Amino acid sequence: MRKPFFTSAISAAALLLASCGGGGDSNDFGGTPSPSPTPAPTPTPIDGNGGAFAPPAQEALSVTDVQTILAQAVGEATARNLPSVIAVTDRVGNVLAVFEMNGARATATTSARTASGAINSPLVDVQGVEVPAAAGAIAKAVTGAYLSSAGNAFSTRTASQIVQEHFPAGPTTAGLESGPLFGVQFSQLPCSDFNQRFGNAGTAALIGPKRSPLGLSADPGGLPLYKNGVVVGAIGVMGDGDYGFDSNTLDVDKDDEEAIALAGIQGFAPPASISANRIYVDGTQLRFSDAVVSDLSPLQSNFAAINGTAGNLIAVTGYASNNIIAGTAYGTEASGIRASTSAEFKNRDAFVLTDGSGTNRFPIRGATDGANVTTPLTATETRAILEEAFIIMSRARAQIRQPLDSRAQVSISIVDTHGEVLGIVRSPDAPIFGTDVSLQKARTASFFSNSAAASDLLGNPDGDVAAFVSRVRTFLNDPNALTGTVAFADRSGGNLSRPYFPDGELGRPNGPLSRPIEDFNPFATGLQAALIFPNLGQHLAFVTGASPMDTPMRCTSTPDAVAGQNRLENGIQIFPGSVPIYRGNQLVGGLGVSGDGIDQDDMISFLGLHNAGLRVGGIGNAPKAIRADNVVVDLGSANVRLRYVNCPFAPFLDSSDQNVCEGL
Amino acid sequence: MAGLSASFVPILAVMSGQAEQLEAQRASVHEIEASLIALIAGEQFDRKMSKSVVSGAFMGMGGPDLDEKGAEKDGELAAGQPVPKDASNSSNPEQSETPDPLEMEVDSLTADEALIDGRRRPGVQQILPDPVTQNNPGAVRAPPPEAFPTDEFPVPDRWRILQSLCPAKGGDQAIYTLFGALRSNCQSTLNPYAQNVLKGDKPIPADKKPGFLKGDDWFFVANLISDTVVEPRSFPIPVGVQTTERPDSIDVFGRSGSEVYAQTFITGFALIKGSTAYKPPDVEYRLTLATQVNHVNVPERRVLFVEPSKPSHRTDWFVGLQEAFFDYHIRNTSARYDFDSFRIGIQPMQADFRGFLFQDNQLGFRLFGTRDNNRIQYNLGAFVQLEKDTNSGLNDITQTPRESYIFFANLYRQDLPFVGLTSQFSLTYNMNREKSDIQIDDNGFPVRPALLGDIRGRAYDVVYPGYAFDGRIGRINLTGQVYGAFGEDRNSFFTSEPAKIAAYFGALEASYDVDFLRFRASGLFASGDSDPYDNTEAGFDAIFENPIFAGADTSYWIRQTIPFAGGGRVISINGRNGILNSLRSSKEQGQSNFNNPGTILAGIGVDADLTPDFRLSGNANHLWFHKTETLQTLRNEGSIPRDIGWDLSLAAIYRPKATQNMVFRLSGAALLPGKGFEDLFDQTDQRDFHYSILLNAIFAF
Repeated sequence: MRKPFFTSAISAAALLLASCGGGGDSNDFGGTPSPSPTPAPTPTPIDGNGGAFAPPAQEALSVTDVQTILAQAVGEATARNLPSVIAVTDRVGNVLAVFEMNGARATATTSARTASGAINSPLVDVQGVEVPAAAGAIAKAVTGAYLSSAGNAFSTRTASQIVQEHFPAGPTTAGLESGPLFGVQFSQLPCSDFNQRFGNAGTAALIGPKRSPLGLSADPGGLPLYKNGVVVGAIGVMGDGDYGFDSNTLDVDKDDEEAIALAGIQGFAPPASISANRIYVDGTQLRFSDAVVSDLSPLQSNFAAINGTAGNLIAVTGYASNNIIAGTAYGTEASGIRASTSAEFKNRDAFVLTDGSGTNRFPIRGATDGANVTTPLTATETRAILEEAFIIMSRARAQIRQPLDSRAQVSISIVDTHGEVLGIVRSPDAPIFGTDVSLQKARTASFFSNSAAASDLLGNPDGDVAAFVSRVRTFLNDPNALTGTVAFADRSGGNLSRPYFPDGELGRPNGPLSRPIEDFNPFATGLQAALIFPNLGQHLAFVTGASPMDTPMRCTSTPDAVAGQNRLENGIQIFPGSVPIYRGNQLVGGLGVSGDGIDQDDMISFLGLHNAGLRVGGIGNAPKAIRADNVVVDLGSANVRLRYVNCPFAPFLDSSDQNVCEGL
Repeated sequence: MAGLSASFVPILAVMSGQAEQLEAQRASVHEIEASLIALIAGEQFDRKMSKSVVSGAFMGMGGPDLDEKGAEKDGELAAGQPVPKDASNSSNPEQSETPDPLEMEVDSLTADEALIDGRRRPGVQQILPDPVTQNNPGAVRAPPPEAFPTDEFPVPDRWRILQSLCPAKGGDQAIYTLFGALRSNCQSTLNPYAQNVLKGDKPIPADKKPGFLKGDDWFFVANLISDTVVEPRSFPIPVGVQTTERPDSIDVFGRSGSEVYAQTFITGFALIKGSTAYKPPDVEYRLTLATQVNHVNVPERRVLFVEPSKPSHRTDWFVGLQEAFFDYHIRNTSARYDFDSFRIGIQPMQADFRGFLFQDNQLGFRLFGTRDNNRIQYNLGAFVQLEKDTNSGLNDITQTPRESYIFFANLYRQDLPFVGLTSQFSLTYNMNREKSDIQIDDNGFPVRPALLGDIRGRAYDVVYPGYAFDGRIGRINLTGQVYGAFGEDRNSFFTSEPAKIAAYFGALEASYDVDFLRFRASGLFASGDSDPYDNTEAGFDAIFENPIFAGADTSYWIRQTIPFAGGGRVISINGRNGILNSLRSSKEQGQSNFNNPGTILAGIGVDADLTPDFRLSGNANHLWFHKTETLQTLRNEGSIPRDIGWDLSLAAIYRPKATQNMVFRLSGAALLPGKGFEDLFDQTDQRDFHYSILLNAIFAF
């Protein structure tokens, strides 16, 4: 009696009618219109040796492709009468061309508009900074390229949705939690010790991931480029002089820059089946673009007709010369990211970062922090952690990838208590941004759990940075806060880094690492932004030519742990996906994961470390008693507990287990 | 039997073999029990029941509101004395004439021969018997009518005839020895269960009647109902995102047990012109207020309030306007009291027999009536949905009404297609214009537009053609319903484009009585959407369901709301007191959602009337999603099985006085999760099922 006859009949009728649906164009971005129904992958038993992932095909943009893309974008910009600067990058962030149209605004200004809608005054953090338009265009392109994969096509608009104080920003969401990738805009920083720079010599010339002049961008107008379903790069358009974000997801935001970028990607648009509009976070659909193909003017694709006429290719200091280069195929040695060798990593699925000459940039090694740690992590332990985390990832159901039931793909970084990298591995098609972010996260967890956290911050010559220590101590009512008494996962530190505490709750003061909501916007995240603000200033001066000196390849002015070793060399990250590593009660490092949903990132780090501890003994997650979720903040009228990690629902493809972190 | 007001269904249900129907009295935290309000609406249910309940038929609400009229007719018909409405008609009865005898004499008989004994013929005089003479010495002639003074009638109206015989306090009680039953008519005027002017048993005395009430026969009715709910239950609850109640909460799902306590007082007042017991009222004014205090305690943060810093318990109260209408009896259309009436204001409305599509107290206008000796009933209506108070579900008239309009027409026909079966044909149109609407509920959660998909506002037009039947074939009691939902959603939240709505619903329940047992079998199907992106929304959703079906709110799945954790922060799989898996933000405040997984139910049940005042009911239902593609899409999970699980429930109803004035119900239900449910949810409690316990006490005065 599972289904009475009459219901079958009705159901059949329903199906017949259901099959007559028509097509529209509200989500037509020019990609393959209809999703080819890809069967869910058969879960393969994960043995830690690989075989769970198929690497993406090695595709790249040719010079002709870039010309076409530029011509299409310039055509649309001309039709819209918005002369712009247009940048095209490959997947690993090499700038393939920057085209400046005649009359294009030379600069753009980072938005100082706060949640109240007012322009903030005085400016805080990176608000209201005038930047070269080309830098904005490059940052947008890098964002589109770095956030996307063969399983998800994200744009700067998508980024805008996930970095604001409520997710997604709009009139219905006030009071709800912040975006899941809150703070990701301050990654791929120009000062990063991890990201590569333009101008490397020889075979290292095109290795990535390259840095971005402004980190990631939330300003619509950066869209990824695809060939045969594989990300090959992105386009970024800067023309309106406002480098901002979209604070209302509910409306259809008519943004000329986005339309220009959309024209640019025609012929290289992502398959409709993987666009952000097919990806849901807690039931909320992400957004690829509010501009659609039907908004576009007839495509112009003749580069020769515009080059030198509508504008010119330009050189950008630190990023590009004034010509077009072909993209580098992701996965090749030249791209800086390639499949690992069996000597490098046991799991044959793993990809590693390479120097262009075959040498792993971050080979697995033991910790270097013997000066401060009794028993530092050994190479065996580091390897076990990375291997176990890789297994959890391989079993995990992706949150941000199509088709459904794809495996999660992330980057995994491990650092010691001095912030030194002990190893980085990636799945074959993990979004690029997560490589730098996973390292930021590992360092952040390790840093805030470290007994030197307060002294490091107080040692920063910038009083603005140092002031955060006392704010934390007052807020937590703990004069010893930030001295290693509490294990901070990135989720915990993130709790303190929101403009409301607890996160999203209107009428509450900001977390002590953030800014008051009156000052806050994605350019003013508090400590995170303050730490690298001087670096950004140095770099922009270099790009504009105002200064011959670029910022050093080492973010922040935090004192060194020991000579030559610094804990925060690519900045901090304030959204979840990392855990500190402990040996008993002693902090020995940090494990950072980035590239899928934040709960997945949390689980991969937490369970990966847990399982490694079971395997090699001695190491593991922080003892429950010192985890940050024991910290209860007294707000006077309420008590609010910090969080540690949050493992996802229905996490695994190979089992229907739920609550898999419970009790650990 | 005549159609009864929607109001009576729950009561009838209880008495007519549907123990679980008591569940319809939604004294829940989230909603006022429509049925309770209904109780008030039908302030005369006691009396009514004695007549109407016998048939056990389940007449749909939304049928003409015949609470007065129908019952009245029953009475009249039973007495075999249909009272003609118009005296002028009755004064001229057609006389049947004797046959003309002339035609019979023609050829065979002579006139003399034809004069048979006992017959007469013009011109022929039989010999008459001797006249009877009466000799009755001392007899007194009856007084002529003029002997009685007409200006000194001792009884003000016929309702007071008996009371006029009541002996004065402390006076001679001898009459009771002669007429013992009179005692029950001579109770204190304060006794609500005796003939009482405040309960509409007797008209307002002429000297106490306010001047603005013109004419005679004005009745006043006051009601008070107390409804108490104690409800421990469990359902999957996610831990707070921003903060948690306890340390070591490091997974999505936390503890699941919670409790609800709700006390509702329903106070109703009505002014009725007419004759409550002898002819349909001409005019009715009614006002019903429901006052609820509720307390909820849950184990996790950010469940009751959007603010995670707030505690995980909440006490709230609200006074809702559940009825405020004017009812006018336009005319009678036949000698059998067929009529046309209209009713305007906040009134109970139910679109079908079982409350599948729309059952609520809402603001509207309704024209209704009967034809063909009440064998045809019709309704034409237009409603606008009032905003609801979030935590009580009561009407909140301090807020602007929603831009959601309901137009409907329906027709009931008795004995179609079989004797004993009533058919209903209906057409309901829901016009929703809430595209630009932003509604945040009292707890701070957005309800319109729903926080699902592209989260943009949307408007829609949907038409529900429906056919329903209710009654019996032979000894098998049957009720059935088929609906289609057709129209257009201006913005499918999956595609951000207009999408066609094409969804289907069917339900069938059959029961069979054996001695004191009633065995039931139920099946329900609501179509689900199989392709989120095909621009057709095939998930059936109602406007405002309150289904009395398959155990009603005794059943776990109907009673409890399951938050769609992971698939929507403020979205539920199903609504409270709802059976459809509709993924709405709120049954009370959210919009209909046709991008849903659909529902399939198959179940059996039994009601046992162990004693006249005690009933035990049991239900075993199995539930499935019809299509899980929408869930899969929203959850980023490609493999969600359809099986929801077993819903087992047991309910006991105790009515100590065998009336509806005191009703106690204790029910317990368990959901044994199937693969689909397990795939979606978990909990940290060491318990592999969910429960719903409902203790409900109702006192009506």
